[in-house]
Amino acid sequence: MFEFIIAGVQSPWLLLVLTGATVGMVGGFIGVGGGYMVTPALIVFGFPGYMASGIDMTHIAGKSVVATVRHRQLGNIDWVLGLAMVGGTMIGVEQGVRLLTWTKTIGLSGIVLLTTSVLVMIGLFIYTQIETQAANKVAMQMEKEGIKVGREITTSSLPAKFQRISLYPIVRCKTARIVISMWVIVIVGAITGVLAGFLGVGGGFVRVPALIYVVGASTHIAVGTDLLEIIVSGGYGALRHSMMGNVDFIAVLFMIVGAMFGAQFGSIATAYVRGPAIRYILSYSLILATVGAFLRLAYMLTGSKYAVLSFFAVVFTLGEMFFLCFFIMSLVLFAVRYQKGKSVPDWIPSLVVQK
Amino acid sequence: MTKTTGAIKFVFWLAVSVGLFYYAFHSYYTGQMISWYYYKAKNDGYAIHSGAFKNATKENPAMLQIGKFDKIEGLQAVEVKKGDRLPVNADGIIDKKVIKEEKRVKLEGEMIKVMVASEVKDAKGFKFRDTFKHKGIMTNPWAGAWNLVMILAIGLALGLMAEGMTDIMGLKLEKIVHH
Repeated sequence: MFEFIIAGVQSPWLLLVLTGATVGMVGGFIGVGGGYMVTPALIVFGFPGYMASGIDMTHIAGKSVVATVRHRQLGNIDWVLGLAMVGGTMIGVEQGVRLLTWTKTIGLSGIVLLTTSVLVMIGLFIYTQIETQAANKVAMQMEKEGIKVGREITTSSLPAKFQRISLYPIVRCKTARIVISMWVIVIVGAITGVLAGFLGVGGGFVRVPALIYVVGASTHIAVGTDLLEIIVSGGYGALRHSMMGNVDFIAVLFMIVGAMFGAQFGSIATAYVRGPAIRYILSYSLILATVGAFLRLAYMLTGSKYAVLSFFAVVFTLGEMFFLCFFIMSLVLFAVRYQKGKSVPDWIPSLVVQK
Repeated sequence: MTKTTGAIKFVFWLAVSVGLFYYAFHSYYTGQMISWYYYKAKNDGYAIHSGAFKNATKENPAMLQIGKFDKIEGLQAVEVKKGDRLPVNADGIIDKKVIKEEKRVKLEGEMIKVMVASEVKDAKGFKFRDTFKHKGIMTNPWAGAWNLVMILAIGLALGLMAEGMTDIMGLKLEKIVHH
């Protein structure tokens, strides 16, 4: 146990390191900050709500730097795309925070927040699942026919429509191999920023699908570039929370130690898999988080009468982290076995990269 | 990158990381970080050290002595006005409005009677214990900038240290060509 003087709680430091490691792994792999998982975990460990959000946001900023450094080495960051999006994101985050303040003034924030989360995540889950299933089927068929499958395979026709918008200035993103109007990137940044600011999260779980299905980036580029974005949005959030005194920095340090290991593993793991594998994990993370949020919403809508709902929400949220880590580790293990020519389950070859 | 340059990179960034962690823990334990956090009073009220009466209940209330103390030790309270620098050890303010309500605390002459030290509240569907700690305090705005710079520097140092580590291990990570 460690006494966190600023937060005023005693909490097992090892659990913080472990939380940092698990969320770091998931975040490094699918390109999200993981705020929707960390804040509940910190509350369970005894941190007050405001401190949990502040510690979470500050740790996300640091963890994203760790993961971004690795994704830069893997060539998964398109700096032009990332920087073009930053402006829109910042404007969006500020508007999202204002929207949140407004809903608070009319006494609705908690319920509106959770309802929006649930709806957005369900929508993204459905679209990502359908598209990824289709892409995976194509990859499996190609594998069967002996056609070499590339690292990325998508079936969505949406990016082509957005890339056809010829509004000046047109941006050439060399690493991502995209030519697109800057306005599309800025607007995507602004919309995802509003959601991030309103929901109080880094926004990765909205931005990664948006980068793939609207901008047309490959999944790997979307993950790496989004982590770059999270440094900015998470850094801004960390600054605001810190100025309000919502951060016990020592708790952040424990988490960042775990995140260093987790984010390394998660980021390196992307080199072993194809785009659909990342999108599958992203969609599962979305639906699991949705169930957790839905349980909390049900708890709030029933006037906080049924404590069992809140309990299962916590169990679900914490269980999600371990489930996703287990899934990622299994994928890497199978990828290594496949590359060595050993036997793997039938669903693995279309998801992992051949040497 | 060779294993030798990887080792140099690892050792250098390890040293930087250790230095940054040492500096952060040093600032914490010398009380500097804490004095930044509990900097000034946001509202008129009484500065207190919430840990001293965390178990106070209606049946077993805590009595805080009001006085002009530079350092709060145990069951003491110092009257402060908005913008006043907080005394050492203060970690929260009991707002005068809360005292007027007389639900959680009551003024009894030169003493404050604390009857409800903590309440269970909900945040985004999660329950947490809400106390007087951190209430009505203003953090030094520079602490925010310090936190941000530190966490970004630590993230960078740890990221580059890990990169050095994988170079030493001989893990060949090549740039992915995106089609």
